[in-house]
Amino acid sequence: MNNIATQRIKREFKEVIKSEELAKCSIKVDLVGDSYTELKGEIAGPPDTPYEGGKFFLEIKVPETYPFNPPKVRFMTKIWHPNISSVTGAICLDILKDQWAAAMTLRTVLLSLQALMAAAEPDDPQDAVVAKQYKEYPEIFAKTASYWTNVYAGGPNKNTDFDSKIQRLKDMGIESDQARGALSTFNWDLERATEQLFS
Amino acid sequence: MATTSSESDSSRKNTDNKENESKDEQNNMFECNICLDNAKDAVVSVCGHLFCWPCLHQWLETRSSRQVCPVCKAVISKDKVIPIYGRGNTKQEDPRNKVPPRPAGQRTEPDANTGFPGFNFGDGGFHLSFGIGAFPFGFLTSFNFSDRPHGVPVGGQLQQDDHYLSKLFLWIAVIFIVWLLLA
Ligand SMILES: [Zn+2]
Ligand SMILES: [Zn+2]
Repeated sequence: MNNIATQRIKREFKEVIKSEELAKCSIKVDLVGDSYTELKGEIAGPPDTPYEGGKFFLEIKVPETYPFNPPKVRFMTKIWHPNISSVTGAICLDILKDQWAAAMTLRTVLLSLQALMAAAEPDDPQDAVVAKQYKEYPEIFAKTASYWTNVYAGGPNKNTDFDSKIQRLKDMGIESDQARGALSTFNWDLERATEQLFS
Repeated sequence: MATTSSESDSSRKNTDNKENESKDEQNNMFECNICLDNAKDAVVSVCGHLFCWPCLHQWLETRSSRQVCPVCKAVISKDKVIPIYGRGNTKQEDPRNKVPPRPAGQRTEPDANTGFPGFNFGDGGFHLSFGIGAFPFGFLTSFNFSDRPHGVPVGGQLQQDDHYLSKLFLWIAVIFIVWLLLA
């Protein structure tokens, strides 16, 4: 890797370790392997959001041209959010694309993602299905996001109603992630989800 | 007496600490906003942000269509940054005049004027054009053989394109030299 990229990641590493956010357990960065090209980020779900209490892991890939080009970031933890793909974890955030600036750091990226979790932008969605639900059925959206946080990110809010619907589909031989995805997509309408899964 | 002296001791310690902290802050103040190291060949943008010139140059190259400050995203340009000269810097050279290190992967066309045989024999039009005309083919043949080892499969189309392009550039260079000599 190009020297400036490695040097900078090393410095940024120290910055995150010294930061207040780390002390508050709000963001964290870890190395993956020996090289500084791949890192693992961790964000705590922001308070007063459906993600509260959850821990979200991120895959961070540092390009050779860093910091002149942004790092490639993806959610490894499944999340229900208009600007993050519920399938791949791909993120739609301007600073990770054309609004990137060379003075931004891993710390500012993680804090921006945390801010995005707290304030979605449904008009510039990554996941159109989630964005539609966010706009049309905000209550169902909040329950679904909170449920996903419980299942995938260790959040505190269980939902037995959703659990039983998923169990019904599992009894029909559907895998649980797939069942959860279909039910979330169809606003927890069991009939429509079943129809779509078997069509 | 004892209390006073211990008080003055502790107060001195406090000021020492403060001095250290402010020293740290001062060091941070002169860190480049891109590489986060002490700024080398320092320049400052009109919005007041400090960079190494090579770092800022590479940023401007990367984002040539949208040149903004990496910190505050104000509009900036190469002509509007101010070089900073500290005391003791004997050659007060504008860092912008130095050629900054370029990113890897950029290649420059060879200078047609250097190492060109026959250039010095510019005494007759006929002799010159003959020398030049024969040169590119010999050069290209040897180039192709030495560059690609035998037995390595190469995309035919790509090689042809390469060949065509290098031939084209050579001819442009040749025409340029002839024009130079005749003018
Ligand atoms: Zn620099
Ligand atoms: Zn600025």
